[in-house]
Amino acid sequence: MQLVIDTATAACSVALIKGDHIIACEKEIVGRGHAEKLLPMIAALPDQGRADKIIVDCGPGSFTGIRVGIAAALALGLGWDVPVSGYGALDVVAAAAFRRHFNASNLTVAFIGGHGEIFIQSFSCDRPSLHLTALTPIQSLRPEDAAPLVKDSLIAGSAAATLVKARGWGESEEAWPFADEARFLAKTATTLPATPIYGRLPDAKIPA
Amino acid sequence: MVAEKPPMALVLGLESSCDETAVALVDNDGNIIAHHLATQEILHRPYGGVVPEIAARAHVERLEPLIRKVLDESGKNLSDVDAIAATAGPGLIGGVMVGLVTGKALSLACNKPLIAINHLEGHALTPRLADQSLSFPYLLLLISGGHCQILLVKNVGEYRRLATTIDDAGGEAFDKTAKILGLGFPGGPAVEQEALKGDPTAVPLPRPLVRSKEPHFSFAGLKTAVLRAHQSGLYKREDIAASFQQAVIDCLVNRSEKALRKIESENTAINAFVIAGGMAANQAIRPALTALAEAHNLPFVTPAPWLCTDNGAMIAWAGIERFRLGMIDTLDSPARARWPLDPHAEKARGAGVKA
Ligand SMILES: Nc1ncnc2c1ncn2[C@@H]1O[C@H](COP(=O)(O)OP(=O)(O)OP(=O)(O)O)[C@@H](O)[C@H]1O
Ligand SMILES: [Mg+2]
Repeated sequence: MQLVIDTATAACSVALIKGDHIIACEKEIVGRGHAEKLLPMIAALPDQGRADKIIVDCGPGSFTGIRVGIAAALALGLGWDVPVSGYGALDVVAAAAFRRHFNASNLTVAFIGGHGEIFIQSFSCDRPSLHLTALTPIQSLRPEDAAPLVKDSLIAGSAAATLVKARGWGESEEAWPFADEARFLAKTATTLPATPIYGRLPDAKIPA
Repeated sequence: MVAEKPPMALVLGLESSCDETAVALVDNDGNIIAHHLATQEILHRPYGGVVPEIAARAHVERLEPLIRKVLDESGKNLSDVDAIAATAGPGLIGGVMVGLVTGKALSLACNKPLIAINHLEGHALTPRLADQSLSFPYLLLLISGGHCQILLVKNVGEYRRLATTIDDAGGEAFDKTAKILGLGFPGGPAVEQEALKGDPTAVPLPRPLVRSKEPHFSFAGLKTAVLRAHQSGLYKREDIAASFQQAVIDCLVNRSEKALRKIESENTAINAFVIAGGMAANQAIRPALTALAEAHNLPFVTPAPWLCTDNGAMIAWAGIERFRLGMIDTLDSPARARWPLDPHAEKARGAGVKA
């Protein structure tokens, strides 16, 4: 049984999963309230979320949310003495979107980032295996700069509508990463080190 | 009748409200079983001050390994711990959240109570860790990086604020002075070292508010005077540092004296005059305030310098104090950027937002 923690965006969700099965799941859109909401949500799961493995969304997405989720995952791992690893926020949105859009063989995930920028990454999906491949690295760009680079028709994520509008064509689907969707990820996609993927460098500039 | 010794308690303390990630294990008798501190000085130094975003990134990387280190070193398990205490504010919210959420998760995983600590209460109660005979009430001069206050410490969680700074904190004044004088970051210890070589009477500097009736503080004008003295080219750096430090000391003594008189005039009995917070680590400040306490027939108490600046033991100790009184918190406790010890204190006249 795995405990999944996903606080990488304005959504906050936790799930207990076993293989393809969801044992329990809690989700809520919290904005910035992850630090207050997350632990009570875990405590409300069967056996207070106790699992023999923890996986956590490492981002990119909400600067605050990512760090809250990872801090919680690491401390639960220490307290229960179980392993902790991570997965990517854009991967899980892509995996879930390909399951909703049966005909899509490729799509781009676009998330709201910082300072008016969006995170983008393009994925392809093999059918019927549903194996996911990232076609580009994660980039943080202004929507107008991202628009000409994105060739996929289908865009999913919190900045999907923004990107489709900037580009002038395609289909957008608003989507958030949720913990129960981590069951769609290949095992290799859930074994990242549990450290934040910020997707951008710190804003602070060293004074001249 | 012999007072019954309280049962043994062991508390894990987590601190992450500014630029130190710190963890400690402290017991009921004030024994610091193990403690570790990962300072971020090197990360922030290029920027000349603490950068919140960089601090937030660093805490999440460092905290969990530091907890493991403290547990390993102490030979204790989480199951031996009676409660988890974590700073819940005030401070840089990005760091506070990491420490608080870590504390909550440990609390849930190990089924131990969570204690959400006010970082300032950590500073305020640490003198009782250092001196187990110190009892309430006492008068506290709290001088740290973000605060400069005089508080009547009546009990755990019970404070009356007699004075505050209306602009900069004392430690902040040291940090800004260090920057002006090119002494680098962090400023307090650097100014103290430079001052050792200088003449504290060489540079005429103001003592802001010393004639005001209320015992409040102000350091912004002093900083401006330091800047002017430096720009004038008339003075040596060590003399400016020494004269600045002396001006701060004079203000601290004058304001504390005023507060002591006020307390005495109200016939409020106090057991000691106490100083805490990062600036209390300063070796020139201590003797001046010791003399003041003596003049008022009060014991002077201050923790060892490393317990004055941020550390994990102060949070663990505040946890012990609250745990003994059954003051525990829930998993939805908020992380707070602002959290005054005395929420009923009147706003000081002329005070800016920080007061
Ligand atoms: N030897 C010293 N002399 C003067 N000031 C010092 C000395 N050592 C540390 N300080 C000052 O103490 C401050 C750090 O203290 P502390 O760690 O208590 O502050 P903080 O936690 O950042 O702020 P707060 O506790 O108000 O939230 C810094 O401003 C530093 O310059
Ligand atoms: Mg402090």
